[in-house]
Amino acid sequence: MQVLSSLKVAFIKWVSRLYPMAKRNLYQFHGGIFPQYHKELSLSHPLKRGIIPKTLVLPLRQHLGIRTEAKVKVGDRVLKNQCIADTEKGLSAPIHAPTSGTVVAIEPRYKPHPSGLKKLSIIIETDGLDESIENVLAVDGAHPDSPVALKEIVHQAGIVGMGGAGFPTFAKLPEKRNTVKALLVNGAECEPFITCDDMLMQTHADEIVKGAQIVGHALGVEQIICGIEDNKQKAIQSFSKACADTEIQVHPVMTVYPMGGQTQLIQELLGIEVPSEHHAIDVGVLMMNVATLRAIYHAVTFGNPLISRFVTISGLGLEEPFNAEALLGTSFLELAEMAKPKQPIDYPLVQGGPLMGTALHHNNVPIIKTTNCVLANPPKPVETVMPCIRCGECMDACPINLLPQQLYWHSRNHEFDQVEKLKVFDCIECGCCSFVCPSHIPLVQYYRHAKSTIKDIRQKEAMAELAQKRHEFKLDRIAREKAEREARIKAKKAAVKQKTAQKPQAKSSAAAAAAAKAAALKAKKPSATTEGQPVLSARDKAIAAAKKRTQKAKPSTGTESKAPSDKQPDARQKAMEAARQRRNQAKTAEDSTDKAAPKDSKSAQAAAKRAAAVAAAKKRAKKTTEKQESNDDT
Amino acid sequence: MMAPISSPFTHNNNSVRKVMLNVQLAALPALFTHIYFFGFGITIQWTLAMFTLIAVETLMLKLRSRPVWPYLTDFSGLITVTGLVFCIPPEAPWWIIVTGITFAIIFGKHLYGGLGYNPFNPAMLGFAFLLISFPYEMTQWTLPTQVSGHFLSFMDSFNLIFTGHIHTIPLDQITGATPLDEVKTALSTGVPVPVTLEGESFNRFRIPYGWAAVNIAFFIGGIWMLMSRSIRWQYPAGFLITMIILSATFNWFDPENYAPVRFHLLTGGLMLAAFFIITDPVTSSTTPLGRFIYASGIAVLVYVIRNWGGFPEGIAFAVLIMNMFVPFIDQYTQPRVVGYRK
Ligand code: SF4
Ligand code: SF4
Repeated sequence: MQVLSSLKVAFIKWVSRLYPMAKRNLYQFHGGIFPQYHKELSLSHPLKRGIIPKTLVLPLRQHLGIRTEAKVKVGDRVLKNQCIADTEKGLSAPIHAPTSGTVVAIEPRYKPHPSGLKKLSIIIETDGLDESIENVLAVDGAHPDSPVALKEIVHQAGIVGMGGAGFPTFAKLPEKRNTVKALLVNGAECEPFITCDDMLMQTHADEIVKGAQIVGHALGVEQIICGIEDNKQKAIQSFSKACADTEIQVHPVMTVYPMGGQTQLIQELLGIEVPSEHHAIDVGVLMMNVATLRAIYHAVTFGNPLISRFVTISGLGLEEPFNAEALLGTSFLELAEMAKPKQPIDYPLVQGGPLMGTALHHNNVPIIKTTNCVLANPPKPVETVMPCIRCGECMDACPINLLPQQLYWHSRNHEFDQVEKLKVFDCIECGCCSFVCPSHIPLVQYYRHAKSTIKDIRQKEAMAELAQKRHEFKLDRIAREKAEREARIKAKKAAVKQKTAQKPQAKSSAAAAAAAKAAALKAKKPSATTEGQPVLSARDKAIAAAKKRTQKAKPSTGTESKAPSDKQPDARQKAMEAARQRRNQAKTAEDSTDKAAPKDSKSAQAAAKRAAAVAAAKKRAKKTTEKQESNDDT
Repeated sequence: MMAPISSPFTHNNNSVRKVMLNVQLAALPALFTHIYFFGFGITIQWTLAMFTLIAVETLMLKLRSRPVWPYLTDFSGLITVTGLVFCIPPEAPWWIIVTGITFAIIFGKHLYGGLGYNPFNPAMLGFAFLLISFPYEMTQWTLPTQVSGHFLSFMDSFNLIFTGHIHTIPLDQITGATPLDEVKTALSTGVPVPVTLEGESFNRFRIPYGWAAVNIAFFIGGIWMLMSRSIRWQYPAGFLITMIILSATFNWFDPENYAPVRFHLLTGGLMLAAFFIITDPVTSSTTPLGRFIYASGIAVLVYVIRNWGGFPEGIAFAVLIMNMFVPFIDQYTQPRVVGYRK
């Protein structure tokens, strides 16, 4: 078997000299691309450390989840490692001061995010003393034995997924031991230009390994595998050395983009697919980036929070690209300037790699917990976008095995139900399809747009459904009330009849009703007065009587007193009124013509639907404004 | 809607233009072989076709108010030209190719919205149009030099194409039926296939002079296109495998009436179709399995038309018919998305 598979590999490698794409058969997942990596750019210059910029800008949200709240005030002196922002309100990760200094402002600042909006940030003027609080997390250095204990430390340390997603790490850890069978250490780093994980593995393999052991120990995992792309030979060597006496396996994997994607690396290392709409944890797999593991090691062993990270500063526009262990909050532009730009950086920098990164609207933004790369590539002339020729390059490159060309076709035509059927939500936006498209179509942009549009539509539908349900419920209630009322009237009529039969003098039915009511009340509450409760005044009685009168006179429409106001828009109310009337008409007609009824009730339904639609539309309008406000902070 | 910048920011530098040029390059061996066996007629036809193409495309792009330069230089029209010039008789009158290209570009391409939106293969649409409109001109093939004993000079071809006659050689000596036609006609007069294959149009391997060589040249060009990823393997694979299976089976049961595999593979426009025509991505199925099915479907139809149909060669009609099934095939051959049950 072994011989056969190595023969196969050798054969494919030979074929790939004639037909480069044969390499796609050398790994487990579908598609993939082989871009130019340019990794040597930043690797050929030494790692920079100990940069303390004048000011640090720390956005209050550097993770997926909700924004933290500042725990310091303007003018406060902060020490390195001090927690300066946290929140109890939901999924988030606290933020700590990267060095000592003074809080000079808490105000909205630009942050590296595609929206390009200003977000609330703490601005620290550093003092260069770098005074710190040691062991701020108050740990004893022992490896936690339970997932809960580990989660606590990881949470307090403000650790988030440092590979790019930024999901708070504690939330990714399971509560129970033994849920995770395999811990995968992601050292693939498949994006071009980026070498910060590579550098980290070369310099701190031991710390990463210890971090992995800590996690493995706390969660009781059976297997720890580290996947490193085979273009990082030095990292593989140092990592293998660090793993020598441990149970951790180092697994060199093919160099292909997107090998570092979670689904792809799991497929490669374990040969399993994570079912759609499930998480890796559902198949007993936990994947962690090497940088995250190192942060965990520091938190658990020394009680140090996450305040700095390895960042690659690279790009074709830089003379001396480098890697740095940069403090969070350091400006992109400052770092890029240190790399000797070949031309003034008047073009947008990119956060992340060229395939999945974000182009910045403002270059003066801070490094945050998820920033792995500052990329300075001078702009290239834009290629004209040609029509799709259905060549299928994109399909052959898609690691998820989607049909990007069909997705594109339907997205373009706004046929979003088709787009959804083609599983647009499984798209990981890796960019492989756009990379290979000979027509230079910005495919991923279309999918992003389609996804957000579909989400919007879904939300609207949900709202419309809710409105419809509410409306139906109301109609039901009205009908029920009516039936009850009629029953009551009947009962009372019967009572009145009895009374009139008893009393010699005949009264008007209204008076009779009033009397009956009064009598009933009296009978029901004989002790009302003694208990200090208000007795029905004569006026009340008269009103009650009058009400009943009207009810009697117009049994079919009279019940429609003003509907209880629940702040419905006027349009909706009108529509409902119409619906109600129609329904009532249908009811009265029911006795005479059976056939007419269904038709009328149909039209009533239609009216109801219309009403619901109007309501939904109103809500929609409201919701969008609300959403815009809430989006403001994503 | 399209924001100016969003990832990815890098590209493999492939372009429609490069793909199309590759296809052109791949057609060169066949072109030279064609010249060697059938004379220079095809170069004149090619030039005529190119001029017509440029004129008609420019006109149509102007009419549709599209930018002329980028669309003219995507070279997609060249594929149509290649598809058509190899299909018409090398010494056909000049207006044949001009009408054919004009029809193909206008009705096969631009009226549907241009590149990427046409459901039917433009070259085959043009060819079908010519075959139906001018059946006589379309079946007067120049005989290979080995058969007629004449090699037409450039001027001879030129005169033939533009005036319809040359002084040196009588016309009926240099033109005749294609081998496919020959076999078919012979069968209808009761001559069994093996006897026809002994005839003077066929060499000692019982494959037709000229035609076989051109087909082999197309095959070589096709391999180059496969290697450079200009076309996808499912098309030729599906097409050729199905063709081989069909012709082998029928020939095995009844060699008197059904020609052998090598005859079917190396006559007519078979290899041209396999690598240059059915591989047109725009008008074919786009899923991997779909491509295979699409190609097999064409092979079945070609075989049916060749043996039982009213025309000697059925590639054009087979392609056009399968074009109609493309949306259907696409819908039922979607690949399994990662994370969904097998
Ligand atoms: S790669 Fe581009 S041109 Fe080719 S099928 Fe995909 S979207 Fe269309
Ligand atoms: S961006 Fe989406 S569709 Fe394109 S290759 Fe990646 S996963 Fe496939």
